[in-house]
Amino acid sequence: MCRSEVISLRKKMSQAGNLREDTEEAGPSVDSENPEERIAARRLRIAARNEAKKRQELGDNSHEKKEIKEETRKSQHQVEQSEKRMIKLQSDGTELVTNIQVAADSRESQRRAELEEAHRHRVEKLENEAKSSLEKFEEITRKWTVAKMKEIPQDLRDSLNSQQQLCALLIEDKNKLIHELQQEIKLSDDRYVKDLKKQAEDVDLMIERMEDQVKFLMGSYRDELDQIEKSFEHERKILLTGNRTKWEQHMKERRDKELENVMQRMKRVEEYEVLLQQLRTEDAEEYNMIKIKLDTDVQILEQQLQQMKATYQLNQEKLEYNFQVLKKRDEENTITKSQQKRKITRLQDVVNNLKIKCANQEKQSREENQNLTDDYTRIMQQYKHMQKKMRHFAAIDAKTFEEVWLMNEEEVKALVEKALDTDRLVHEQQLGLAWQRPPLAFMERCGPLQPQRQAQKTAHQAISELLRLGCSLGKGKYQEAGVGPEAGVGPDAGVGPGAESPGLAVEVYESGAGLESGSSEVEREGSGGEHSGTVSVKTVKKLLELLCDEAGFLIESKLLKLLSPLEKDEQSLMKLDSIFTAMGIESEEDVYKLADFFMKYRQTQGEQAQDVSAKEGVASPQAERGEHTSSCSPTSDLIHPNDVLVALRAYTAHHCRPREVAAPHQPSMLGLGGRDDSEDAAYWEAMADVIPEAKLKIWGALETALDKYHIVLTERSQFITDTQSLKQQNTELRMLLHQYVNSRVNAELEIPPTLVMQLAPE
Amino acid sequence: MTATMSKSPGVGMYPPVAKLNLAADPRKMRRIIAEDPEWSLTIVPLLSSLCLQHIVINFEEKPILEELLPSHKDYVLERLSPSLPLQVTANLINDEGYWKRCCKQRWGLCDVSSYGHSWKRMFFERHLENIIELFIPDATDPKTVLDMVPLSRNYVKRLDISQLLPPIKEPQKSEDDDNSDSASDMGMDGPSIDHFDFGILLDKMSHLEELHVVYRVKGCGMNFEWNLFEFTFRDCESLAKALKSCKTLRVLRIHQSKVDDEKCRQLVNNLLDHPSLRELNLSHNLIGDRGARAIGKLLNRSKLESLTVYDNNIRGPGAQAIAYALAKNSSLLSLNLRLNRLGDEGGQAIAQALLKNRTLEWLHLGGNEMTEPTATVLSQVLVQNNTLRSINLSCNRLGIDGGKVLEEGMSHNSSMVECDIRLTEVGQESDYCISQVVRNNQNQAHRKRNTQEINTK
Repeated sequence: MCRSEVISLRKKMSQAGNLREDTEEAGPSVDSENPEERIAARRLRIAARNEAKKRQELGDNSHEKKEIKEETRKSQHQVEQSEKRMIKLQSDGTELVTNIQVAADSRESQRRAELEEAHRHRVEKLENEAKSSLEKFEEITRKWTVAKMKEIPQDLRDSLNSQQQLCALLIEDKNKLIHELQQEIKLSDDRYVKDLKKQAEDVDLMIERMEDQVKFLMGSYRDELDQIEKSFEHERKILLTGNRTKWEQHMKERRDKELENVMQRMKRVEEYEVLLQQLRTEDAEEYNMIKIKLDTDVQILEQQLQQMKATYQLNQEKLEYNFQVLKKRDEENTITKSQQKRKITRLQDVVNNLKIKCANQEKQSREENQNLTDDYTRIMQQYKHMQKKMRHFAAIDAKTFEEVWLMNEEEVKALVEKALDTDRLVHEQQLGLAWQRPPLAFMERCGPLQPQRQAQKTAHQAISELLRLGCSLGKGKYQEAGVGPEAGVGPDAGVGPGAESPGLAVEVYESGAGLESGSSEVEREGSGGEHSGTVSVKTVKKLLELLCDEAGFLIESKLLKLLSPLEKDEQSLMKLDSIFTAMGIESEEDVYKLADFFMKYRQTQGEQAQDVSAKEGVASPQAERGEHTSSCSPTSDLIHPNDVLVALRAYTAHHCRPREVAAPHQPSMLGLGGRDDSEDAAYWEAMADVIPEAKLKIWGALETALDKYHIVLTERSQFITDTQSLKQQNTELRMLLHQYVNSRVNAELEIPPTLVMQLAPE
Repeated sequence: MTATMSKSPGVGMYPPVAKLNLAADPRKMRRIIAEDPEWSLTIVPLLSSLCLQHIVINFEEKPILEELLPSHKDYVLERLSPSLPLQVTANLINDEGYWKRCCKQRWGLCDVSSYGHSWKRMFFERHLENIIELFIPDATDPKTVLDMVPLSRNYVKRLDISQLLPPIKEPQKSEDDDNSDSASDMGMDGPSIDHFDFGILLDKMSHLEELHVVYRVKGCGMNFEWNLFEFTFRDCESLAKALKSCKTLRVLRIHQSKVDDEKCRQLVNNLLDHPSLRELNLSHNLIGDRGARAIGKLLNRSKLESLTVYDNNIRGPGAQAIAYALAKNSSLLSLNLRLNRLGDEGGQAIAQALLKNRTLEWLHLGGNEMTEPTATVLSQVLVQNNTLRSINLSCNRLGIDGGKVLEEGMSHNSSMVECDIRLTEVGQESDYCISQVVRNNQNQAHRKRNTQEINTK
């Protein structure tokens, strides 16, 4: 067993040592007994290795990019492989070494099993033996009792002999057993010795194997190390050769380059030498030429120098003379200069004096000016004060006037009322007629008469109205149209009573005059209507909007800022207002005038542009207007925004001049002198003539008749008083009688007067 | 001078007598002797060197070392005699060179690598071992040992006691020899054959980490007697107490000492909850099931990492006890149960435990009379457990079927690096497959290790 194991160990080691081939490789094995076969196997292996190498190289060629990587890998690969191989070798070796131990273990366990078995057998045997011997012993003991019973000596001897025999048998059995056991002991001793020997052998073998293993491992480690080193060497060599070739290549390149440089340099040197030579000759020639030329030049210059010297001599003398003259002049000049200086100082003094004077003068005038301005301001203040006072007084006057007026009016009204009352009383009580109250418009009136202008609409109102109307376009137009007739009804109604009672005619007229403003308004409204006929409200509105957009420059920037939060309509209203104030348009009329002007302007422009000469003279203005309206009705055909400014300027040029002319009158009026008292007399007259002449006549006749009636009535009253006094006397008398009748004296009388009385009435 | 220099090799070659009388001493002829570092031109030695020499000579009476300059110290240490009494040198000299000389002088052959490359440690360990190994109870004075304690306690880390002498036999004792052969260990009367009592030593050794003890006599030769190889109950008791008192012990090895169940239990009882014990080796003893049960108890009441109880008499029940402990254990890395009598009962129990255990890496179950049933459970273990790295099942009759089952289990495993199935009567095919898997695993592990190394670099 030991031998075979050693052989197998050797084989395994060799196998492990040559582990470079594939273990799975079939065919001739390196481990086979036949040496030829082994050789064949090795050859095959070498061929395979070469092939593998080639393949690797091919692979290297195909993957040239990874060459460096793979090359570094080669050594690593080698290291790894060696490592693997060594691990395998080691494990194999340890396995071999431990094989002995394992074998010993298995033997030991087997021995133990056997021992156990033997032990069991022995125990069994011993037990059997003990049993049988016990039986025998029992037999013997039993026989003892039998023997005791025996009295015959022979019998006893026989029995004793048999007993002895039995005992001997028993002892023999025991001895046999002991002998067997001793044999076993001997056997086991032998075995122990054998085991010991075996173990010693095993140990020897183990040591031997260990040594072999160590030797072999050392050898293979060395081999592997050599191989690894070889591979590294190889790599290094490759690297070295590669680097050397590279290096040489670089060196060669460098050498070539240097050679080339040297050649170039030499060539250049030659060239330069030639050039130098050439230059030198050229320069020499040039030098010669220049030298000759310069020589001649020098000669010429020397001649010139001589000449110049002569002239210099001459000049020097001349100059010396001049110098003397100039010196003289200089002296003179210094004298005059000093004189001039003195003069200058003097004049400077004069100038200073004058300056001082001038300053004084200026100061004075400034003071004067200050005084004057002070005066002016004071006077202005006084003037303002006066104005204020005047206004105050005017206001007070107006107030007092109004108060007086009111008072008087009240009085007069009361009187009128009284007169009317009396008239009514006369009519109703005396004449028995139905009384009708005359229309008294002025009675409703209160306070002094106002000037007409106030009634007129301002431009602002007009605009607002227009804008408002514009909102409700067509409707507004109708309304406006409707306003005209309504306004017209007022005077008609007023005229009615006037026709009825002639006494009131004047009054009616007066009221008509009072309402002149209204009528004029009506007229204007009419004209407005007319305007709206020609220039519709819509167009006017559009115009205004245009104005608002185009004439924005007339609006103050502050106002614009203030307007920004307002609504659009209101904004435009305010803007227009400010524009109109800037342009001087104040009344509605002006507004319409402006609109009209614009229309006309456009028309004229249009006509000018169109040059329609045929219709110009012939067509009636009405037709023209109609046409105009028709042409104007589309709002888009309004005056062009660009023309608005031109039109505006034209308008202001046309219309604002008269205003300017009229302007100086306005301040003199001061807002209160304008009251005309022409209508006052008529008013008061109308008050006084409340009762007409016819009625006065009626009143006269009535008075006379009433006087007569009065006289009659007084007589009657006389008579009534007489009768009343008589009645009173009568009653008094009756009272006295009664008194007498009822007195006590009567009772004492024989015949009482009562009886008489009773008798008397009967 | 050049002449002398050129001459000198010639002078060295030939005996000086053959030369001229002037060159009687070749050294005298030379003005510079370059090869001798001690050489100096001065004829009278320096006072300092004289003093140092004096110190060396009288070191025993007046040990002066620490006060010296470093260069002088080296000079003195080089010249000190290795035979100086330990009382002087032990705690004074730490120089390795000196102790190396001591060791070399005393034992000749020395391998310092197994002593942590410390010559001093080696000297004291071997010295103490020698003293204990030659200690004869009742004859030798315990003071010889105790005297060494203060000198060596700081340097001794391991004690490998390879023999313990019994007391000198008295004539009456020799008569009992016949009895001692056949009689049980318990029958022996105590004091006569008790060995060295470790109790007096271990509790004083504050650096002791390893203790290897064999209760036997080396090289007894033809004087062999059974009672030379006894481990008495009292020995056991004293050893157990000593072990308990030694808190630094990491490795304990008591082998070939006839430790039976009772002694094992005694030892284990004293080792329970030992703070530092990591390795326990009780191989080549007589431990049976009860002892195994005790060991199982110890497993989970200590921090044992390695347990070796090969060549004992542990059977199924004992293995079950160990397996029960193993299932709950989380510290044991290595378990060796070689050459026991576990049988299938024990083998299956151990394998079942391995299904739960997640720490054990190394397992040896060789020579345990296990058969196919164990193999089937083990194949499960191979599939489920991935901490186990090495398993040894040699010398078990697993049979061809068992081999196939193992092969099946192995094919799902990726952690096993070693698997020994020699002499298990498995089929060659299975053997080959298993070795293939193991090799793959090895390669993977190797690769992993390599990459880790590269990463750490």
